[in-house]
This record gives sequence, C-alpha cells and structure tokens, in this order.
Amino acid sequence: MKIGMIVPKQPKDKNSLVMPEVIRLLKEYGVDLDVICPEDHLNHICQIRPEHDLYVLKDTTDMGLGLAGILHAAGAAIINPYSASMILRDKIATTGVLKAAQLLVPETYVTSTLLQLAPLLADGPLVVKPYRGRDGQEVHIVHNEAELAQIHACRTPVFAQRYRKPDGPDNKLYVIDGQVFGVLRKWPAATYEEKLGSPLTVTPILRNYALRCSEAFGVKIMGVDVVMSKGEPYIVDVQSFPGFKGVPDAALRLADYIFHAAKEIMDKKNEGARLAQVAAVASNAVLCGAAMIDTFLGSGMPAGLC
Amino acid sequence: MKTVIIGAGKIGCGLAGQLLHDSGHEVVFVARSQDFTEHLNRVGRYFVRLVGQGGIREMLVDGVRAVAACETEFVAEEIADADLVITSVGFDNLQLIARLIAEGIKRRTAPVNVLAFENSGSAGPSLRSFVAKYLPVDFPLDRHGFAGVLISRAVTQRLGDIAANAPLVFVGDPYSRIIVDSAGLRGPLPHVEGMIVADNYDAWVQKKFCMFSAAHATTAYLGHLKGYKYVHTAIRDPQIRAAVLTVIKEGQQGLAARYGAELAGDESDCREILERIGNAYLCDPISRVGREPCRKLKSEDRLVGTARLAEAAGVEPRGLGLAIAAAMFYTNQKDPSAFELQHQVLIMGGEETLRQFSGLDNTSKSGRLANESLYRLTDGWRRGGVITNLDKMVWA
Repeated sequence: MKIGMIVPKQPKDKNSLVMPEVIRLLKEYGVDLDVICPEDHLNHICQIRPEHDLYVLKDTTDMGLGLAGILHAAGAAIINPYSASMILRDKIATTGVLKAAQLLVPETYVTSTLLQLAPLLADGPLVVKPYRGRDGQEVHIVHNEAELAQIHACRTPVFAQRYRKPDGPDNKLYVIDGQVFGVLRKWPAATYEEKLGSPLTVTPILRNYALRCSEAFGVKIMGVDVVMSKGEPYIVDVQSFPGFKGVPDAALRLADYIFHAAKEIMDKKNEGARLAQVAAVASNAVLCGAAMIDTFLGSGMPAGLC
Repeated sequence: MKTVIIGAGKIGCGLAGQLLHDSGHEVVFVARSQDFTEHLNRVGRYFVRLVGQGGIREMLVDGVRAVAACETEFVAEEIADADLVITSVGFDNLQLIARLIAEGIKRRTAPVNVLAFENSGSAGPSLRSFVAKYLPVDFPLDRHGFAGVLISRAVTQRLGDIAANAPLVFVGDPYSRIIVDSAGLRGPLPHVEGMIVADNYDAWVQKKFCMFSAAHATTAYLGHLKGYKYVHTAIRDPQIRAAVLTVIKEGQQGLAARYGAELAGDESDCREILERIGNAYLCDPISRVGREPCRKLKSEDRLVGTARLAEAAGVEPRGLGLAIAAAMFYTNQKDPSAFELQHQVLIMGGEETLRQFSGLDNTSKSGRLANESLYRLTDGWRRGGVITNLDKMVWA
C-alpha cells in the first residue's frame, strides 16, 4: 500500500501534532508512505506521474493544488478530490455550492471594488475577506464607510457577507467519513489553547448540516464553521482537510480512514485486474476459436494470434 | 505421509496446509469450489505471508493438489489411504462434510485420526456423531479418532485471483501453536510442527475464549462505538486499550480460579493479545471481528461467559460489563445478526433484550454492571453519533 502525503512546507500550526501522528501511525500500519512537499522541489511537470495508490492532499496552497491537479489529470486517487479541493479554496464557488445544497449562508456579495459595498452598510455590518483567504487572515468586520476605507490591499474579487452576530463562540464542525465532531471555539482564536476550544455536543441539526456539506462537495474530510445567530445556524466557512484541533483522537481517526480508503482502492484495483484478466482469457478464447475456424476453412489466419 | 485437508479456506491453506507441508507431509485439499480446485491443481502451490512485530515472512507451500468436494468418490479414495485427515470448514459446516469422511473411512483398513481445526471444545465429539449417521450401526467407528483442535493463528486475507496462474497468498499472523484434544485421538499422531497434544483441552479452549476472544470482541465493540474501522486502530486508542486490558485480566482471574494460575498465564499473555490485535498487517476490520453480535452475546459465549467465570471467582467484571453493553450498540447494515439485535432493542429496550439474548439481569453482578454501562451509554446517544470519551461517556 503506497500513500503520498502532500503537505505544506510550513504547517499552519506547528504546535499541532495531528498530521505528524497520522504519518507515524500509517507507517506503523505498514504503509509505504512518502511525505511530499511540493515547495521543496523544482517540479518537472511532464515527469510527474502517479506512483502511489492514494494521495492525501493536506497542502491546499497553490503549489499543493498544482501538483494535485497534475496527478488528478493522470488518474491518481486523491483525498480530498482535486476538483472539490479547488472549489473549497474559493469562497465564491464554495458559497455557490452551499446555496445550491440549500444550506443557510449569510447574504453574500462579490465585487471588484471595495467602495461598492458602502451602500450595503446601511442594513448592518459586513464581514469582508479575501475570496481565497484562509485561517481567518485579512478578515474584517466592517460597520461603516470609514472602516471600509481603512481596508488596504484587499485582493479582488472582494468577498463580503452580512455579519450575523453570534449567540456565542463559533461552532467548528469536523467531518471524517460521515462522522461529525464539534468544537466550540472563540473567534478569533489567538493561542493554541484557544484553537483547541472545548467539546461541543453535535445536535441533530448541526450533524445534518455537516453531512449535507460533505455530500455537496463530495469530500470525506472537511471542516464546517457555523455561527449560531438568533438561534439560526449560518455556515460562514468550509475547509478541505482542516487541522482537527480539539477533536479527540483525531490522528487515530484520520489514519483509520486514510488506511481504509487506500485499502478500498487497492481492492478495486485488484478486482479490476482480475476482471481484465478474465476478459483477456475470454477474448483469447474467441480469437483461438476464430483461428481454428479460419484454419479449418483455409483462410490462413496469421499464426501467433493464439 | 499424506494428509487430506477438507476445507481450503484461510485456515485450511493459511495454517493447516503450511504446517503439514513444513512437517514433510503430502497435502491434498478438498475444496468446495470447482474453480479453486482447478486453480490449485494448475498452480500447485501458494504462499503464506506471516506478518507481525518481527517483520514479514513469506513461506512457499508447494507440491499441493486438490479434489473438489462434489467428487465424493475421489475424496473417499484420498481419505482411504491418508495418514491424517483435517477439517477446517467452520463448526457449523461439519455436518455438511460428514458424509465425505464416512465414505472415506468405509474404505480404510487402518485407523485414522480426524483433526477438526474448528476452535471449538466440542468439534471432535460432534464430528464423530455426524459421521456416524452415514455409517452402519455396527461400523467400528471407535477405531478412528476425532479430536478438536484449537488454533492460535489468525488468517485474515487471501490475496490473488483463482482465475490467474500466479500463486495465491494467505496473510496471517505468525502464531503456529495448535492444541489437540488428546481425549478424541486413537493411536499416535504423525509429527506436525507446532502441535501440542493436551489432556486439558477444554481448559485451553476456555483460555482462548476468555482472554483472546473476549479481548478481540471488546476491541471491536468499543471501537465501533468510537467510530473506528479496524481493530488495529481501536486498540491504539488509550481508553479502549485500557478497557481491553481490564477485560483480559478479569478473564485471566476467572481462569486462574477455575483452572489454576499456570494455565491462566501472566502479563506476557496480556501483552501478546494486545500485540496481536494491534497487528495492522492483518487489516482486520471491526465489521469482521464484531459480526454476529447475537451469537457473541449468548450466555456461554466470550463476553457473558467470561463475565460469569470472573464473577464466580469473586471478580467484579466491570470491563466485561462495559464490553457487553457496547455490543448492544453494534450496528452494521450488512450483518443480519446486528440488524436483529437493534430491532429487538427498539422493540423491547436494551435491558430486556440483554436478558433474552444472554440471560443477564440485575440478579447477578455481571448483569448489574452490564446494565449500568448500558444506561450510561444510552444517555446521550444519538443516531449516527460516536463516543469521543469512553471514560466520561461523551458522545460527539
């Protein structure tokens, strides 16, 4: 079982032991695992080809996604799938998928000019963030035009959502292959301890939300950020392969799922090879039959076809 | 020396065939499937891959052939001149092969021992009585031996394709010890690697049941509660590992009181069990280890039976109580027994279902502890949820 783990050069949180532990466990399980850091190499695109049964795409930087794109085009199996990972890096496309799945998101706007947001402030504050942003970076809560004017160097297009005042801390939901885990986390979380948050018992509504998200994007490992506002759950962010901070036994759970996914792929490959062999034997039998008939009729089918 | 092995499955090929081959026997399999028979006769060999802490060892088992079970006459001919006959078909299938053995025995002039590699205390006597049904009343069946065999190796996978010409690979752990019930034997046995002939066979069966089987099932049911897919993952969860160790020790104390401390073993037995369950190379899914929960919850089976044994020894079977309660939560849409269990729980409630399946109720310490854990698990349970903290019974 060969697994390629595509990871960023600089982990988002160096304190988190989840991914190193996942790697350690998979190796202990006998997996032939390569840690691939796209930023470490000069990648010769024409020479990249799938060499593993499964790739785990933990690095969703442009370099990571670029490598995943090449592997995807060459038919590699990737967790999470390349196309879904691409969508999840783009908040505009992500919101589109959430809306199509009839999940509740705050009113969302996209513009190429910050100032075009100004009239919207009359109806209340907005959350302005880069459409390809991550980890809460460059997220601004804007109450008035003055605050809007203070936002500098916001990449376009500009992504804005109506600010829904939270009833309490953020509800961080984590999905691993149909299982949903919850963490209550203060926003913004400044320290590692704050990022670990506290356990959240996932209500049936939240579980349903998380699983519908997982289904809508077609990914098995994801994070869903929900803000409860006036009792209504609004999805404010979705991540492919998050850090799972605060989820008990996250490394064991992730390693278990990745191992299982790789085994299923190998079983399918073996079954495919078996069917191909059966087809080849059947086809050979037909050719042999044809050759025998041709020989009998004297048409002289080339020798060696059998 | 020639041995006929009836049943060419994982244990037949992955354990019996390899041990007999390594002991210098000519090995003839009797296979249920015609395709498998043809494969083995065409290829004539297979590999046994043993994986454990010591690494991976691959052993070639060559010079083997097979006869299809439907060819009764041919099978009987093979048995007629065999030095040893082995079955590895699963206890419930012994009745189905009894006629084959009877036909073979009818043609024999010399006595033969039939070893049932079925991991059951009663496999030997049961097989003898099944075979007797196909023989005349005055047939001297008592000349022949029928003995149960306890095996220690787990063989979890068969890799390869019987339609191909490449040899198959059977994957198992490296444990080779087999224990034969001396009471059922007639005459000496040929030499077989790893074989121990035991006078206290039932005690060995109990030991395996109360320690390894109970621990294995506990890992599966607690692992299921926590949402894991493989037992090798579940046993690495510190809370599950601690609970499984408690179960092993409760079983060990029960065994020590009933059969003596020597048979019950020591810390090294506990470590060996944990190590075996943690062997990821076996790829042993919880869905396999936890299957048929209704059977595994029966009064004499690995969990409840062990709890009763421990209780009789004055031990409070707290770990087994939790394991029994966890088994009551086992779900698997592909497992009819799990479906039946959940259906009964829905209709009658957990406590009554447990009483009906296992005979456990609050009149016994085991029953009280199991019900106590059942209540704690039920509180906070949500469909589709998994436990995140076993000690505090916190559901995600």
